[in-house]
Amino acid sequence: MLRRTALAATALFAASALVLAGCTSTADPGPTGATGEPNPDASVAIRLVLEPGNLDIRQTTGAALDQVLIDNVYQGLVSRTTDQEIVPALASDWEVSDDGLTYTFTLEEGVTFHDGQELTAQDVVWSLQTRKDTPEWADSARLANVSSITADGQTVTLTLAQPDSSLLWNLTGRAGIILKEGDTVDYQTAANGTGPFVLEEWQQGASITLTRNDAYWGDAAGVGEVVFQYIAEDQAAVNAAAAGEVDVLTGFDPNLTEQIEQNGDWTVVLGTATDKSVLAMNSTAAPLDDQRVRQAIRQAIDHDAIVEAVGAGQTLYGPIPEPDPGYEDLSDTAPYDPEAARALLEEAGVDDLELTLTIPSFYGTTIPQILVSNLNEVGITLEVDAVDFGVWVNDVYTNKDYELSYVNHAEPRDFENWANPDYYFTYDNPEVQDLYEQSLRATDEAEADALLAEAARIVAEDAAADWLYNWAGVSAVATGIDGMPADNVNARLDLSELTKSE
Amino acid sequence: MIRYALTRGALLLLGLFVASALIFLTLRVLPGDVAQQIAGTNGTPEQVAAIRESLGLNAPLWAQYADWIGGVFRGDLGTSLYTGTGVTTELAEKARVTVPLGILSLLFALAVSIPLGVVSALRRGRADGTTLSVGAQALAAVPVVWAGMMLVVVFAVWLGWLPAQGFPRGGWSQPADALRALILPALTIGIIEGAMLLRFVRSATLQAIGQDYVRTAAAKGLTRNAALIRHGLPNVGLSVISVLGLQVAGIVVGAVIIEQLFSLPGIGRMLVEDVDRRDLPMVQGELLILTGFVLLVGFLVDIVHRLLDPRQREAS
Repeated sequence: MLRRTALAATALFAASALVLAGCTSTADPGPTGATGEPNPDASVAIRLVLEPGNLDIRQTTGAALDQVLIDNVYQGLVSRTTDQEIVPALASDWEVSDDGLTYTFTLEEGVTFHDGQELTAQDVVWSLQTRKDTPEWADSARLANVSSITADGQTVTLTLAQPDSSLLWNLTGRAGIILKEGDTVDYQTAANGTGPFVLEEWQQGASITLTRNDAYWGDAAGVGEVVFQYIAEDQAAVNAAAAGEVDVLTGFDPNLTEQIEQNGDWTVVLGTATDKSVLAMNSTAAPLDDQRVRQAIRQAIDHDAIVEAVGAGQTLYGPIPEPDPGYEDLSDTAPYDPEAARALLEEAGVDDLELTLTIPSFYGTTIPQILVSNLNEVGITLEVDAVDFGVWVNDVYTNKDYELSYVNHAEPRDFENWANPDYYFTYDNPEVQDLYEQSLRATDEAEADALLAEAARIVAEDAAADWLYNWAGVSAVATGIDGMPADNVNARLDLSELTKSE
Repeated sequence: MIRYALTRGALLLLGLFVASALIFLTLRVLPGDVAQQIAGTNGTPEQVAAIRESLGLNAPLWAQYADWIGGVFRGDLGTSLYTGTGVTTELAEKARVTVPLGILSLLFALAVSIPLGVVSALRRGRADGTTLSVGAQALAAVPVVWAGMMLVVVFAVWLGWLPAQGFPRGGWSQPADALRALILPALTIGIIEGAMLLRFVRSATLQAIGQDYVRTAAAKGLTRNAALIRHGLPNVGLSVISVLGLQVAGIVVGAVIIEQLFSLPGIGRMLVEDVDRRDLPMVQGELLILTGFVLLVGFLVDIVHRLLDPRQREAS
């Protein structure tokens, strides 16, 4: 309710600001153009949208925590680059046996935790074993295939019950985080990791500050301090940028590009993202249990208009986005064609269809409005039910009590949800489940990807859901800032390369 | 008077008790819980169940309520389900932002409304008086978010005098910075609340002008304005005190929105985030304190009003 008022007011404001902007000269806003060398002790302020509820890397899920803590404060044996390559982290290298059942990691020497304790191979074994054995820890189930974890000197060996082509990728996330065995740190409000930054302070409701870890085992970070400032309102964030209070805006609304670039000192950077806006359709009840009705909905939606309204991103016609393995262009499965949509509905014997769309209110009204008018065009009346996120999680995610749902799935490589009949997508197709299983068991990467692509095509052809668009990561970066990741910033934000010249 | 204060105090406590039960029950009607939120959109049912158990969310409702109220009487509002810190500790921390923000807002509101309200009453029927009163009508209808944004653009973005958002990391150990951070948000609330109050002051002043004692004083040779200021204003003050309770409630609501907009780590912003996260012990504590505060102001206003107003004193 509050957000809706805020949105309306923000729109009104943006209009007034544009009028006013025509007749102003800015006093001393924003960072000045960079002139010299990077300052190794610089402080960089980065705007983020969503603040985590606590700092518990073990248990609290969500990208809000991954963004700030993984790679920067906590590390795993392996990490991922912004273009989704798997690279060494606490393990200097690793080997996978030909049968895909044994993973051998060589641990870096001389690694210490932020409190000065040494990292031992036993810490690695304990971290992975505890993750696997503790159901309330995030991604615990992703280690289900691991049957034993042992250490010998600086070598850590994972033995699998069956091959798992997603294991290494999973180890770059929560499942692979390495903690100090028996650590007494209060994980909910503090942190003790091995990364290039130390958690300095969490000012709840405002900011999280990281400082450079001078005892870091690898190359030291390029700045002295990073301050994540949590600013929910897009317009307020732009104001903060204009007043020179932040150096980087993540989650930037591309429709405000003109406003910020007037300032001269800002560049709007577009990166790829794995965020997929999924229009889920509950196929457990009529009429959405009929593929023709779902297909009609897909073909009624003008995806190009959505991308244009959002201001960035690209169309997506299947469950796998371009940066992920198994992607192929599936636009042939649902070309925009209201005529065909009407014919399909008629064929299915459906008329005067009324559907309810359940959507978390923070996604705003732009997309729901397009959906309402697109579906209205083919004779479907859409009622939009904007709820708070807690209600969405309860009603849609947990109880699957919905007709249509709209939410952003940011996680990379999350095709597994289409192979899980219990997931809220309500998609239960044994053929897809089998293909996904085969892809997991494949020991050859190309083969694994081909199987995923095959499964993805079936999901799209079944019109299991619609994919409204694939986001772009949009950031606004001040002059003088270098090394700011552009791709997939909603999932991760590795700041070890960040520098600031003044 | 004592008897009145005791009765009024009993009413205050009853109000608080009813509020506590209402708050508790309303929050339990909200769909969703903290365990689902922690497990997120890739969490398994097993994970949610394990988290729920570890947080003690499976205890029966009456036991949870009794637990909470029992704690409240001992001055312990429970602990956050997310951070494990005491609700009391968190509230005390956030109050350092919200209380000064509220006081500053109220000062701005009074500074705007009292002089201008009196002037617009005295200048009634003339251009400037009418402008003031129409302007106040218009201002009172402005959305708080928009007003805040406009102030930010002028004072932070163009002039660079004040910060656009945020609160210094050192808090009140940097008193000048902390105060500067609160000026724009307080001004936003103050202007809008002040505009509402202005209309009230204006009508109270107009009423006072028409009173017999002011006319009598004027007949004894004081000018109309002098008579009003000497004899009428105390009564205007009384009327203002009587609506202060409402004003404070308005400021509390304003603070919730404004703290979001200005990214201030206060009780208002925390309340919104804790509701989103279903951190119910925190929300309960926040709402109880805010409600208690508004009720307490109402109580004090009534007592002060009675003490100051000779007519009411005689009546008791």
